[in-house]
Amino acid sequence: MKTRTANAVSMNPRRVAPAKAERPDRRGRVKGRRHLLGLCTMGFCLFILGLVHVWLRLQVVHMGYVLSTTAKLQGRLEQENRELKVELATLTSPDRLEAMARKRLGLMPPEKGQVIILP
Amino acid sequence: MRRTLQTSRVRLGVAKILFLVIFLVVGGRAFQLQVLQGDKLMRLGQRQHLKEWTVLPRRGAVVDRTGEPLALSLEAQSVYARPQRLQNPGRAGRDLARILKINPAELKRKLSSVKSFVWIKRQISPGEVRQIQALNIEGIGMFYEPRRYYPQGQLAGQVIGFVGRDSEGLEGLELRYNDSLRGETGSSVAERDALGRRVLVEGVEGLQIPPGGDIHLTLDTTLQHLAEKELEVSITKYRAKAGVAIAVEPRTGEILALANYPTFNPNNYSKESPEQRRNRAVTDSFEPGSTFKAILAAAALEEGIVDKEDLFFCEEGKYRYAGRIIHDTHPHGWLPFHKILQVSSNIGFTKVADKLNKERFFKYIEKFGFGQVTGIDMTGEVSGLLRRPETWAGIDLATHAFGQGLSVTPLQMAMAYAAIANGGFLMRPYVVKRAIGPKGEVLMENQPHVVRRVISEKTARSLASMLKEVTNEGGTGTMASVEGFEVAGKTGTAQKVDLVNGGYDAKKRVASFVGFAPADDPRLVLMVLVDEPQANVYGGVVAAPIFQNITRGALRHLGIAAKTPALIPAPAADTEIPLRRLPKRNSQTLVDAGAAPDFVGLSLREAVEKARNLNLRVKIHGNGYVVKQSPGPGGRWHDNGVLVLNLQG
Repeated sequence: MKTRTANAVSMNPRRVAPAKAERPDRRGRVKGRRHLLGLCTMGFCLFILGLVHVWLRLQVVHMGYVLSTTAKLQGRLEQENRELKVELATLTSPDRLEAMARKRLGLMPPEKGQVIILP
Repeated sequence: MRRTLQTSRVRLGVAKILFLVIFLVVGGRAFQLQVLQGDKLMRLGQRQHLKEWTVLPRRGAVVDRTGEPLALSLEAQSVYARPQRLQNPGRAGRDLARILKINPAELKRKLSSVKSFVWIKRQISPGEVRQIQALNIEGIGMFYEPRRYYPQGQLAGQVIGFVGRDSEGLEGLELRYNDSLRGETGSSVAERDALGRRVLVEGVEGLQIPPGGDIHLTLDTTLQHLAEKELEVSITKYRAKAGVAIAVEPRTGEILALANYPTFNPNNYSKESPEQRRNRAVTDSFEPGSTFKAILAAAALEEGIVDKEDLFFCEEGKYRYAGRIIHDTHPHGWLPFHKILQVSSNIGFTKVADKLNKERFFKYIEKFGFGQVTGIDMTGEVSGLLRRPETWAGIDLATHAFGQGLSVTPLQMAMAYAAIANGGFLMRPYVVKRAIGPKGEVLMENQPHVVRRVISEKTARSLASMLKEVTNEGGTGTMASVEGFEVAGKTGTAQKVDLVNGGYDAKKRVASFVGFAPADDPRLVLMVLVDEPQANVYGGVVAAPIFQNITRGALRHLGIAAKTPALIPAPAADTEIPLRRLPKRNSQTLVDAGAAPDFVGLSLREAVEKARNLNLRVKIHGNGYVVKQSPGPGGRWHDNGVLVLNLQG
């Protein structure tokens, strides 16, 4: 096992050098691991952040569609409302009402004394 | 071992160079795309996923004083064609011509055009839209455009005016208040997806283009309809050329109704003639005729030249003045001033004008607002024609006295009578009460505006009492009287100028009546003018009945109670009615003094009428018909002598 390790080390010139150099102490290794852990955490956070960003972007687009549909519906309802106002005003125009009152209902303008004006 | 190491180093070197080259290529490309072609590519990209959406201007509404809409805007679709893209222009043309009811030959010519875009029909109906959509023809499309609707049709058409296809006011109030009504045109840029659908990722703020404001008129739709209807009936009856009726609230100058005949429907403005579109109340001026005598009377009374009872000799119908002969329609002898106005004697008023003199007369003509625009918020108002007294010939004082030799607009005359009605103040007329913005803010508001005091209140009251006699027995305007009310006014029959031969036309007349009611507390001034009536030409016959009918309906609509007993409204329930004893009783109303008459089954009105005829004191409970009475029919009277009636139903 030791021989294999020695061979592996000897095959990599970059790792041969530190092996010849002074070995880092325990504190140094712990520090290196912490750095690595920090980098990993940061990378994970960035990854999550990326996911959140993508999710938010999708939500924005989705809401954009919803908003667009709602705005269109609002416009259609407002137009319908205006159309109904025109229709109502046309149907209740004095000219039409008088013609209907006379022809369909047989009504006449009130005669003298038929109108009571309340105080 | 060493060889392996060297091989690895070579590989690493190659990899380094490879990566460096790749980096340089990518970097160079990025530089080219981002820096060198950045702007252009950004524009191309934006063109693909951004689109500019045009927001059409939304024109405000026009409503009457009660909020009844007179003009509203909708979005209507217009059909266009791209002739180059049409696969089968012949078939498309036939289908479209059938749906849109347009000339197939003209449509074929349009569809065969070499142009890239042609309009087929603007602002089509929703039914037509559905049918065209069902055809699904390549090269035929539709586009939203604002369209103005006038739901009341011809009602106040000349006052409201109309807008063009671009939603800009062209005439009437639509033009005068275009800035308040128009609304803003805007556009918003929004993202679109692969299917071209709008995706509002930036919110809807960009779409919030403020619409135009609404304008609230002083016109009353009911009175306007009444005025137009009565005017049309009489003009048809007397085969007249045109007519005008103006109703004014005398204390404020608000125009309650302004009717013109011939009528104009702004929904079909392109098919109507300029004659129909003209608002004659402000754009046309006429010689006023005898209605102008009230102006001279006001001046003479105000200056203290004459008194109501001063006597004038009316020369038995023929009087030479300044080398000309002045005639009266009916000969009169000595008449007091108020009678001269009642019978409308030209000779009497010539003598009054002579006493007043032309300078003082002219001062009052100007003070009453003639010869100058009234300042009404309408387009096209003219000032009429007024000559200064220095230029008057000798006869002009007489002709001005009975309303000839000058021209006035119907509105000027209405406002002059409004000044007499309201105690002497000339008011500025207005037809728009206020303009309201999209958030409910008041953009503009017209308030009653006194132009000047013209005559004193005493003179105004005195003149009003004289004008009342015109509509009483013996006056020229009896056909203008309204049952239950006192009406003050004056008739006018003016000759028309012969524009071809000069002088006055032998046949053409302008008949008019202007007055106010109730005379003692005027709520309405009404000017009626009928141009060139054929069957009869006199103001008292042609215009006065129109005045009567409009005033009768208007007073009823305004809720003004009649003054005379015949029209006293029925009393409210639970009230005791003191009834005075009548001087005479006919045999049918005589009752046994000891027995109560039978009231059961009578309506409230009949019961009150019967009690009045029988001189009884009654106390009424409830409404409807009498179901119980105390004392009962034939019973003995209580000590207090009151008949108690219980009504139901």
